[in-house]
Amino acid sequence: MTTAVEPRRRLGVTVHPGLVRHGGVLAVLLIIGTFTALRSDVFLTGPNLLNVSRQIAVVAVLAAGLTLLMTAGGIDFSLGAIAAVTHGVTAQLITAGAADWLAVTLAVGLGALIGLVNGTVVTLFRVTPFVATLASSTILSGAALLIIEGQSISIGEHLAGLGFGEVFGVIPALVVIAVVVCLAIGCVMRWTAFGRNAFAIGGNERAARLSGIPVVRTKLLLYTLGGLLAGLGGVMLVARLGAASPGTGGLHLELTVVAAVVIGGTALHGGSGTLVGTILGVLLLGVVANSLNLLQINPYYQDIALGAVLMVAAVANHLRSRRH
Amino acid sequence: MDLTLRGRAEPAQPPAHTSVALELRGVRKSFGGAVALRDVGFTLLAGEVHALVGMNGAGKSTLVKIISGAYPPDGGELLIAGRRHGALTPRRARALGVSIVHQQRMLVPELTVGENLFLGRMPLRLGRVDWNRVHTDAARLLAELGVEVASRTTAGELGPAEQTLVEIARETHAGGEVLILDEPTATLGGSDAARVHRLVRTLGARGVAVVYISHHLDEVLDLADRVTVLRDGRHVTTVPTDRMDLPELVRAMTGDRLPQGRPDTGRTLGEVVLELDDLTAGTRLDGMDVTVRAGEVVAVLGCAGDGQSQLFPLLSGLRRPTRGRIKVAGREVRPGSVTAALGAGLRCVTGERLVHGLVPELGVDENLALTERGLHRPWLVRWGRLHRAGGAARTRFGVVTIQADPPVSTLSGGNQQKVLLARWLDSGAVACLLEEPTNGVDIAAKADIHRLVDDLAARGTAVLLASADVDEVLRLAGRVVVVRAGRTVADLPTGQVSRDELVALSVGGTPS
Repeated sequence: MTTAVEPRRRLGVTVHPGLVRHGGVLAVLLIIGTFTALRSDVFLTGPNLLNVSRQIAVVAVLAAGLTLLMTAGGIDFSLGAIAAVTHGVTAQLITAGAADWLAVTLAVGLGALIGLVNGTVVTLFRVTPFVATLASSTILSGAALLIIEGQSISIGEHLAGLGFGEVFGVIPALVVIAVVVCLAIGCVMRWTAFGRNAFAIGGNERAARLSGIPVVRTKLLLYTLGGLLAGLGGVMLVARLGAASPGTGGLHLELTVVAAVVIGGTALHGGSGTLVGTILGVLLLGVVANSLNLLQINPYYQDIALGAVLMVAAVANHLRSRRH
Repeated sequence: MDLTLRGRAEPAQPPAHTSVALELRGVRKSFGGAVALRDVGFTLLAGEVHALVGMNGAGKSTLVKIISGAYPPDGGELLIAGRRHGALTPRRARALGVSIVHQQRMLVPELTVGENLFLGRMPLRLGRVDWNRVHTDAARLLAELGVEVASRTTAGELGPAEQTLVEIARETHAGGEVLILDEPTATLGGSDAARVHRLVRTLGARGVAVVYISHHLDEVLDLADRVTVLRDGRHVTTVPTDRMDLPELVRAMTGDRLPQGRPDTGRTLGEVVLELDDLTAGTRLDGMDVTVRAGEVVAVLGCAGDGQSQLFPLLSGLRRPTRGRIKVAGREVRPGSVTAALGAGLRCVTGERLVHGLVPELGVDENLALTERGLHRPWLVRWGRLHRAGGAARTRFGVVTIQADPPVSTLSGGNQQKVLLARWLDSGAVACLLEEPTNGVDIAAKADIHRLVDDLAARGTAVLLASADVDEVLRLAGRVVVVRAGRTVADLPTGQVSRDELVALSVGGTPS
């Protein structure tokens, strides 16, 4: 009652408190990076880092949307499946002769629409987000296979500018997109009423509603935005791989995205989260995957490593919030 | 508040407690730089009811948390039954017979009373739970303590008072020789509180040492054998309650600062602003008619949980009334709509600030800005402007913080309540509903909040007060509507009614 000292959570994307808050993830990232660099000559080479950055760009785009959603106390387990669907749709549209821009726009729009449906189920029918999006994730995984008829569909040289293009001759276009998305979401979380309302809803939904904050509308928008970014992620996937194929995106991508956000310190119950943390989480998972690859460790250890990192991060978050 | 309590009229029992159940010597505790306790000594005798009073931030919570093992002390000695103990853990403290019943009730609502009583210690037969014994033992235990609750009732169906009684019974059954009760009657009405008091007396007579924390000083004086006053983390005094009266106790708690009586300012009333017309919510509120004029404070008084507690969900738009209308300035407010209520200039301030009021993780200034943001729905958040406006509101409402803009969860109850009021009443309130505005707040903050309500009415706002606190109603309101079992039983100017009459009306002492 009197001396209850709650954990002091820093909001926003300021650098200094961010360093304090994310010190643990940053340290682990540096340790693994240093270890890999010492054991492998390839790790710190340009081509390898570019490759890693292309791979994590997709994860970063999805994770940015999920960070905002989870800050508002929501969760979406269908983001990976949405990406799988839109990556198939993009490929089918392009092979059917649609213009690249049209295919991309439709795919991103479809992602947003699926997000809106998720949001509607969660807000209007009051289904727990976990269950609702798990159901839609399962539906969409099946739909994704149907769309590409279980086969690989090449898009040839289409979208090569997006997948392999470089800005100023060095920075991959995919990375530029990811950076733009992250910057935009970071600004939304700090400076817009929409973003701050997400914090208020995640922190105390009833209080937010009584203050006149449009809770339902905000949640619908959050799920739609998450779906839209997942749709964009699907387009980035097909552009990077040059083909749509079974097993791309889906559950594995989803788990990576959720793991990255949790490792970044966003609270599962909402009310607290930072994009800086999420980006560090994405980087950490990307570096771990790459390091396992380079050190020629059995690929089956990939999932074990992902799960272990997630477990450690969750425990660390818990301990940190208890210590204060 | 309790007409039913006549305990002091009986011949005073001789202080038969001689053995010391628990003792603190020179205990110190700080959090970061903030000192919560300085050299506090505290002696608890077996069989006594020992009240612990002090304003918010005086150190009561810290003290009981040290006793119950939640916090280790920074220095000093802790003796239980004469033996010295270093840092306790909650488990160790329980094993030593120290248990605590928190203000928030902690029964498992889906289980029966019997199961709750023996949770973790179910009587077994052949490795299976012996259900007959669970309920016979539970019934015996409850009967011994004089708690009239059926063992097979589901805990969730019990009223708040009965839940508290069952919790206390569980802790004493677990072998508690020192029982800490943290504001057990904070949310209870007069007759419910009396049931808790009876149980506390029974426990005292059985030799249990009870530490009783309460904001209700008349309750403290009536119930406790001795009282310890803390102020700013220091031990002020420990005296038998029969050598202490209310003004003296207040002086010990506040130091120089005294609470104010009711100011005799003749309020000038304007037009009728807020009208409740046949407002009904199921069986819990039945056909309430109230009008509030501009500049008037009207109280709706009832026992805790009675009809007045339905006003917040109805007026704020959380719930739709089954019948009846709400009008603000002559225009009907669309029922069951938060935005319609806000748009009409109706501001409803909850009595449960952490449930319906504040966002604990956000800073004070952003919490202050929430209502404004909900009303005007801007696109962007201007932090500079937000902090300036927040700073101004804090000064006006007297919110004291150490840091510049800390998370609102780190503030004391009184400051949180002021933040809540500032947020709701600073933004063009035409009419407002205040639900228990000083719930769980210290005396100084209470006086501040009362002045804020006076100012609000003086500015021409129509104020409706929903309260279970007779003293507060008499302090603030010009007119009082008494509800009992959801029905209006009286509508009187407060000048024409005494405190005892009001209590009697709300608990059903006189026929209506």
